[in-house]
Amino acid sequence: MGTAVTHAPAMEDLTKDSKPRHRPAKPPRPAALKRRGRRESLAGYLFMSPWIAGFLLLTAGPMVASLYFAFTDYNLFDSPKWIGLDNFSEMFADERWRHSVRVTLWYVVVGTPLKLLAALGVALLLAQKRRGQAFYRAAFYAPSLIGASVSIAIVWKAIFSDDAIVDRTQKTFGIDVGGWTGDPDLIIYSLVALTVWQFGAPMVIFLAGLKQVPRELYEAAEVDGAGPWRRFWNITLPMISPVLFFNVLLETIHSFQIFSSAYIVGGGAGGNACGPADGSMVYTCYLYVQGFENSRMGLASAMAWLLLVAVALVTAVLFWSQRRWVHYEEGA
Amino acid sequence: MQQNRNVERRTVLKAAGASLAVAGLGATATACGGDSGTGDGTVTIRYAWWGAEDRAERINKTVELFHKKYPKIKVKTDFQPYTDFWKKFNTQASGGNPPDVFQNAIGFLRKYDAKNVLLDLGAQVEAGNLSMDGFRAGLEKFGEIDGKLLGVPVGSNSMALVVDTPVYTKAGVKPEQGWTWDDYDAAMKKIRDKTGRAGDTGPYNVMYLYDLYLRQNGKAFFTEDGLGFAEEDLKAWWTKAEKAVEEGIYADVKKVTQIKPKSAVSGEIAAGEFTWDNFTIRYSSEGKSEYGLAPIPTTDGKRTGQYLGSLMLSASKRTQHPKEVAQFIDFMVHEPEVAKIMGYDRGVPATQAQYDAFAPTDPVNKAIAAYEESLVSSGVLEPITPHPNGADICEAAFLRIGEEIGLGKRSVDDAVKQFFTESKTALGS
Repeated sequence: MGTAVTHAPAMEDLTKDSKPRHRPAKPPRPAALKRRGRRESLAGYLFMSPWIAGFLLLTAGPMVASLYFAFTDYNLFDSPKWIGLDNFSEMFADERWRHSVRVTLWYVVVGTPLKLLAALGVALLLAQKRRGQAFYRAAFYAPSLIGASVSIAIVWKAIFSDDAIVDRTQKTFGIDVGGWTGDPDLIIYSLVALTVWQFGAPMVIFLAGLKQVPRELYEAAEVDGAGPWRRFWNITLPMISPVLFFNVLLETIHSFQIFSSAYIVGGGAGGNACGPADGSMVYTCYLYVQGFENSRMGLASAMAWLLLVAVALVTAVLFWSQRRWVHYEEGA
Repeated sequence: MQQNRNVERRTVLKAAGASLAVAGLGATATACGGDSGTGDGTVTIRYAWWGAEDRAERINKTVELFHKKYPKIKVKTDFQPYTDFWKKFNTQASGGNPPDVFQNAIGFLRKYDAKNVLLDLGAQVEAGNLSMDGFRAGLEKFGEIDGKLLGVPVGSNSMALVVDTPVYTKAGVKPEQGWTWDDYDAAMKKIRDKTGRAGDTGPYNVMYLYDLYLRQNGKAFFTEDGLGFAEEDLKAWWTKAEKAVEEGIYADVKKVTQIKPKSAVSGEIAAGEFTWDNFTIRYSSEGKSEYGLAPIPTTDGKRTGQYLGSLMLSASKRTQHPKEVAQFIDFMVHEPEVAKIMGYDRGVPATQAQYDAFAPTDPVNKAIAAYEESLVSSGVLEPITPHPNGADICEAAFLRIGEEIGLGKRSVDDAVKQFFTESKTALGS
């Protein structure tokens, strides 16, 4: 993810300087060149072959298959039966499916902005030069490395359950809700907390963006009498808006795909599939339940494709909206 | 230079080719691992079950015993918790690679028979590799579906009211065979008032208990191909439950879900719950109190609607070694030594020989034996309710939707409607 930021300027360099840098001093005759070119590209493909095979067999193939299954009734055992759009009409009529869409949207709409706010806030603090800065950066980044793991989800469940640390702390303040993971309305907030806690990844990207902002802009603004808020609003924000856009895009897509934390905090193996009264039944959880618990692979495939289309649409809207608020420096 | 580079590239390519070849060989070798015949006639079969670590230890001991008697049959074992077991099994079975022999239960027989997964062991019985003689209480018929022998019972169990004995004693509640639902309701109230603990975890979403209640009233949860009760029946059942949860007679569902996988009884949230009688073994290892078994309440003072349930061993239709699998099952259900190792872990042993071989000495196992004997002697046992294809999904929906009532997330009317919608989809009717 760190590389993506450094790419932005790097890519510009490339396009400007697109002439091939390196040419053989003495070009061989055309026929030999051709032959060598062919041999080299063959070698290239051969070296790529493990990846290509993996892509075709493990990604592209299954994707095409699942697109087909999306229009069938397929229970894993009997051969798939073509049913046209029935899976989709069943989905829209299914109350549990609509519930999972609501839970997911709620998670995305609440969790993503909070996470980005936390990331930007801490990045602003860490952008200033002070002692121990490297330590703080590493410390704040660490949760992003481990946050998606199963073990952290298990720890999270323990932290937020009945009579555990969060519950006890609340009780000392006179708030007794009896553990978040058992409450159908609160469990989703424990998941939001989990994603916000992983603000380190977007924070690092923000930091890189903040470093790119030319100092002289601030100096000029200060001379003109702009206060800190004004400087942030009129200089920092526009200058880092491409990075902000990148983070919004990435985190939104990421949020739509939440699965393991919802599944594990919600009970996971041996318990409720996804939370009491489906409290943490996010979209992918329901997809999993339909596919692997109810053996309805056709329906699950249809759900997966619909999610893909929905995320693509959201991405398209974000890209469309960037014209209005993302500021790219021209002619730099 | 030119020359050199070419040589270098060729070497690299050769190396790459070689490593690809090795990878290919590796794949072939793995593929061979699945096919289990070897030169000296040794055969490998795979055996999978659901359960926890303590069951795994016992089963591995019985497998060692089997290896001693049948050195030419090697058994590879694998286990998961209940829900994960079926996910893995589905994936393996649909990929054409199911375990040769696996733990099963009545609720899954029709489902997997419809999917063409289960081997009819009848032929092996005829061939003399598997004996269906010497079973107790008609259990030899439990695994028969439409004339096919799809599972062999390893043990029998029955629904019971598992109670925290000291709490019941403190409240002065003493359930007796033939007590009614009114008695039960009064007892729950008494427990809540005198001990401050919820009387029950919540009987309202236990499918197997509601089945008994329906049977007491001449119905059942399932028929051969659908649900055996009407929306009004369920409405009445859940309306009563909703009130009891509000009054604290049944446990707070939030607490019950959070203590999972531990039970609310061993977690001291509720004084008892309706479940299978062999669960006292688990609760005794989980909790600090003493746990006993009480009879199922009745509607008319006599009929409990109870029947024996059973865990079984089934074989896969795709197994390469039906004979060896049959010999394995035969050993596991008839060998007395196996019963001594397993105890009542999977219910009371199914065959008379195994039943006689294990004489319980500890109070928990003794109580289970006494409970099952009392069921036989009081003559309350009846034939089992059929479990159509999709029954397991209905059970999960019943559990979940009932819980939603307990959590106050759904009105009874809405819950009943939702349950019937989901069940109709699952049962394909």
